[in-house]
Amino acid sequence: MAPTACFNCKEARAVIIRPKNRHKLCRACFISIFETEVHETIIGTNLFFPGERVAIGASGGKDSTVLAAVLKTLNERYNYGLDLCLLSIDEGIRGYRDDSLETVKRNAVQYEMPLDILGYSELYGWTMDQVVEQVGKKGNCTYCGVFRRQALDRGAARLGIKHVVTGHNADDVAETVMMNLLRGDLPRLSRGTSIVTSSDASDIKRSKPLKYAYEKEIVLYAHHRQLDYFTTECIYSPEAFRGSARTLIKDLEKIRPSSILDIVKSGEDMAALVPVEVRGAGKSKQSAEEESAGGCGSQNGRTSGGEMAAMEEQLAQNDEAESLETEIKLPNGSRVKPNRGPTGKAVKAQTIKHCERCNYISSQRICKACTLLDGLNRNRPKTAIEVGVGMEDEESSSTLMRQMERAQLSAT
Amino acid sequence: MPAKEPKKSCMECNDAEFELTVRKRQLCSLCFRRFIAHKVQSRLSVYRAFGLDGPKHQLLLPVSLGVSSSVLMHILNSDRQNRLSNGRPLGYDFKILVIEPSTIAATGVPFDQNYEALQKNLPMHDITRIPFHSIFDYVPEVNDIMQEYAGSKFIDNSTQSNEERLAAFRASISTPTSRTDVDNILLTRLVVEFAKKSGCESVMWGDSDSRLAAKALAGVAKGRGASLTWQVSDGMSPWGVRFEYPLRDLFKAELLQYESVCAELSDIVIPDQPPSENVLTKNLSIDELMLRYVQNQGAKYPGVMANVARTANKLNPSTSDNAPTCSLCASLLGNVEGNSGVTVANQAEDNHSSQFCYGCMRSRPEKLC
Repeated sequence: MAPTACFNCKEARAVIIRPKNRHKLCRACFISIFETEVHETIIGTNLFFPGERVAIGASGGKDSTVLAAVLKTLNERYNYGLDLCLLSIDEGIRGYRDDSLETVKRNAVQYEMPLDILGYSELYGWTMDQVVEQVGKKGNCTYCGVFRRQALDRGAARLGIKHVVTGHNADDVAETVMMNLLRGDLPRLSRGTSIVTSSDASDIKRSKPLKYAYEKEIVLYAHHRQLDYFTTECIYSPEAFRGSARTLIKDLEKIRPSSILDIVKSGEDMAALVPVEVRGAGKSKQSAEEESAGGCGSQNGRTSGGEMAAMEEQLAQNDEAESLETEIKLPNGSRVKPNRGPTGKAVKAQTIKHCERCNYISSQRICKACTLLDGLNRNRPKTAIEVGVGMEDEESSSTLMRQMERAQLSAT
Repeated sequence: MPAKEPKKSCMECNDAEFELTVRKRQLCSLCFRRFIAHKVQSRLSVYRAFGLDGPKHQLLLPVSLGVSSSVLMHILNSDRQNRLSNGRPLGYDFKILVIEPSTIAATGVPFDQNYEALQKNLPMHDITRIPFHSIFDYVPEVNDIMQEYAGSKFIDNSTQSNEERLAAFRASISTPTSRTDVDNILLTRLVVEFAKKSGCESVMWGDSDSRLAAKALAGVAKGRGASLTWQVSDGMSPWGVRFEYPLRDLFKAELLQYESVCAELSDIVIPDQPPSENVLTKNLSIDELMLRYVQNQGAKYPGVMANVARTANKLNPSTSDNAPTCSLCASLLGNVEGNSGVTVANQAEDNHSSQFCYGCMRSRPEKLC
């Protein structure tokens, strides 16, 4: 069979079938198209300003390595004028982090970028391995996600940097959209797709320049540029809703390769349609997992289904309670359903406070990481307590403790 | 030994023997029907008139002769009969439209007997039967739109019959996902035009909760997230006809239960084809994949699946009234106001994007990606 010519330059031999649209491309065209698309995303969303100091959240995995490589290339090619550096978090997962951190260290040399590594043990007094020992293998992604989110912000603050970029790709964003839809989580649906997130709760801007890049293309890019990255998956399993969404998206991609991007587009549109009054609202305590947790790199939909079952039970109870309610009708004027147009309600602004424990910026009295830590520390033998815990937040911590006891029981 | 007396009476009326279990409650068939009917009627309270001289709303009920729409029709009809015999005001009246199933599905299911049974059952009703290809008569501009949409893959031959022309257009679309997608758009447009021509202000769609969940998920997966506000939510459609989904609180399984206790429905309903076991995932349409997903997951987590449609129903309709819309499906071109994403810019690979929306571009026969 004669070699196929590249769809783009029509000259070189095509060696890649582009996962996004099945175009056959040569190596040079693929790399150039991939970079140009990231550039267009950056320009189209006014992501950076000249002279901005930007920390790249680097895990040593494919996404963040490609992000670092592409940003370095684009920064030089288009004169963004960015001051780039690498910021790594050591979650303390033996066999997963040790090697990948070595990769990050090599990347720092390869890309001539300064590197800063922050450990969970240093920040929270707990490594992820210790957390898992405590809470079991279920639901630990919640801890990892919340801790990591803060860790990156804290690391950036320490470096005096206001902008952190992460390697979230289109697959991660699509997964988050589907997951939030399955979970009925409108507030997160309204913010999960945005390229820049979390300006409310923190003064550090976060963005995902690879938001429109397919995971498979990131792998191809890394391969064809022979980037040095560490291939591994997080050894702990994802939360049930994310697992279900992930499986679904893999199936969709088989049917129509563009569907990942299509979900991102739908997610962006729906985010703009979420009623203003629910956008800022928080969610129940079970869904402490933030969108960033998708970036942990785990690929399989291995799941226990515990979270879905819990929500199912909750919904069934709501339904039952609803059937016991008595509907009281207003005598007049209530027959016409109000037009569900934009309501004139004032937006309830989130007040930014500082966590009473750690002084980290939080919309709550106690930040999420401290709440989680509270629960963890309660179950740790007294002599081993490393982070001081006050006794005032009795209620939330005991709830958390019960939840974890349940998790432990069901894990055994 | 005292005889063990199992509690068998209906939990609602405490009188009749229970026959069905619905949402953990054991009910007799009468109370069950009342329960289901109540769920539907509470959705239609907008159309209830409070006095005898109140305005009478004209609704259109498209019936596919499947379980869900037939049950909806039965409930509305029973309600109508009750009210008429009690001399109570109805508030609304409805017309029935049957788009001949044999002109939609390739596997032409004979439906004449079912249609006759329907007519016999509702003798007082305004029932119309039209073929799918009558879209050329109802939506005259569809011809040009099809030509523009399909590009060189479809050459319209005006000497052919409408049936052949529609078949040629449908054949130009290559993947099952795109074909189902475009079919649904055309069917919706046909129903809407019929509703307008017959003076109906609203269309009552017979989608069950499970189906709405699948529709929501499929819509999102096809880049049609912005249209969920009328494809899944109750609300105004872009064509100025309201869309209502009165079965949104009922699961498919419950509608099947209803059918089983209504003898008169058995002659009307064309049973669903069981999903084929040996189809590769990649050969399914996205709509089919989502239906299966909702069915499988719904067996274990019915509430979670039901919640998907409820979540979609909470979205606000887009406010940009004067924004340009897609000439095929009437969805917004470009982004919803407030969405600053650049998915559309990334995809603008040809000049057709000016006329068709993102979702329709994806289903085009000559799509470039």
